[in-house]
Amino acid sequence: MDPTIRVDARVEVIAAYRMGKHGPICMPARMKYKNREINFTKLGMRHPTTQGKRMIHVFDVSDGQDDYRLEFDAEALTWTLVSVLGGQNAAAD
Amino acid sequence: MQLPTNTEKPNIMHVDLNSAFAMTEQQARPSLRGRPVGVTNRLTKGACVIACSYEAKFKGVKVGMRFDEAKILAPGMIMLESDPPKYHHVYQKLVAIMKSYSPNVKMKSIDEGIIDFHDTRGVINTRPLSVIGFEIKRRVQDEIGDWMRVNVGIAPNRFLAKLAAGLHKPDGLDVITHKNLRKTYNQLELTDLPGIAEHYEARLNAHGIRTPLQFLDAPSDLLRRQVFRSVVGEDWYRRLRGFEADNIATKLGNVGRQFVLDVRTTDEDAILARFQHLCESTGKKLRYNGVDARGVLVWLTFANGEGWQKRQMFKTTFFTDKAVYERALYIFNKRPKHLLITAMGITCYQLTPSARSQISILETVNKEDWLTTAVDEVNERYGTFVITSANTVNAKKRLKQKIPFGSTKYFELLLK
Repeated sequence: MDPTIRVDARVEVIAAYRMGKHGPICMPARMKYKNREINFTKLGMRHPTTQGKRMIHVFDVSDGQDDYRLEFDAEALTWTLVSVLGGQNAAAD
Repeated sequence: MQLPTNTEKPNIMHVDLNSAFAMTEQQARPSLRGRPVGVTNRLTKGACVIACSYEAKFKGVKVGMRFDEAKILAPGMIMLESDPPKYHHVYQKLVAIMKSYSPNVKMKSIDEGIIDFHDTRGVINTRPLSVIGFEIKRRVQDEIGDWMRVNVGIAPNRFLAKLAAGLHKPDGLDVITHKNLRKTYNQLELTDLPGIAEHYEARLNAHGIRTPLQFLDAPSDLLRRQVFRSVVGEDWYRRLRGFEADNIATKLGNVGRQFVLDVRTTDEDAILARFQHLCESTGKKLRYNGVDARGVLVWLTFANGEGWQKRQMFKTTFFTDKAVYERALYIFNKRPKHLLITAMGITCYQLTPSARSQISILETVNKEDWLTTAVDEVNERYGTFVITSANTVNAKKRLKQKIPFGSTKYFELLLK
């Protein structure tokens, strides 16, 4: 039904900051997960969410094949890989 | 009353983010683009499609359809659980774009709103509205995402602007004025008109009105006295001609919450935990809206298809979670006990502005108010339902806050 694979793992991320047409843009550029380095090529969307007053930035990014949901905890300064949607596997069961 | 067609210049713009939830998911996750995608509030076997992508719509999938039915029409359809914070972000961005043109913006729902350009055309928005409309479409793609598409409709009133926005989905921009009004109606069916569904269509048909043009030409008296038998007929007479009949401020009438049970069980504790959680959510909504209630309605549906509801007015007003639960439970306990519950809901009504600023002479009343305030403050700081009744802890995991249809009034609350 939903092909998203839940991961919920702490990951190491290198983020890039640049000035966009409508303000600064922050985008995860590279992630280290299970000894693999994944380079992100597209930022689908960034949206903020909260846990109480704690700000969590959600980044939906793609490496050109799979989609990744990363969460950045602005208080603890940690990155979590929440889920992966495999592009080639993104078909309903 | 006989009115000509409104010849005023079109100053109302309807902006509609069609298939908003599904399109937002495709924006966030590029691998979903070009695929049939559905969004549901809870991923279960009988999940109901609350939004679907255009790829799914082209294959015949409709909102309200069950996923197993939708999958037959659109094999390979992907069903996702709704993600309210993501949609709220898109909503806020859309509102910001719309408000940059006029302070007079009214959101009709989560994915559509009206910009009223009256009074701003002289100085700020001197360009033709169609130019501004195309600019909004471009800004939505630049500022929200390149996959996002909006329909724009421009007309002299809200009804025609919405109609115009629906003419060329998913990426249209249409203008309806007195000049092309008849031509536009001539291309449509009665049920293409916003607000006309099968029931109203049958009423109109019964009086010989079978097309929008016949509807337009129908006398006011016929619509008021025979077809609709109320002032509704007169409203239709006005809105079809381009006069405003829908700029009405609505008043909060009731507050509540409902839930389709995730399990079919006769376990009283499991049912009560879910019921109490509904009551606590409703209490939060009351306080969020700054109102007290006097009446409670509880409704249930059962596995055999039957329904049950009971309402009661109470002597004093109330606003705390405990007070809502006590009153609702009193009604709930009068239900038929031998039937299996499939859905439940609670509504508080007879709302009045909150009297909480008034300190009571009764210490117990004050203590209840202070405790509620303290709990709300902790939950505000650390997250909703961080402090909650112990017996609702398990239910809290099951009853996730979801996007309500057609309303934005609890958006901020449900995201906390």
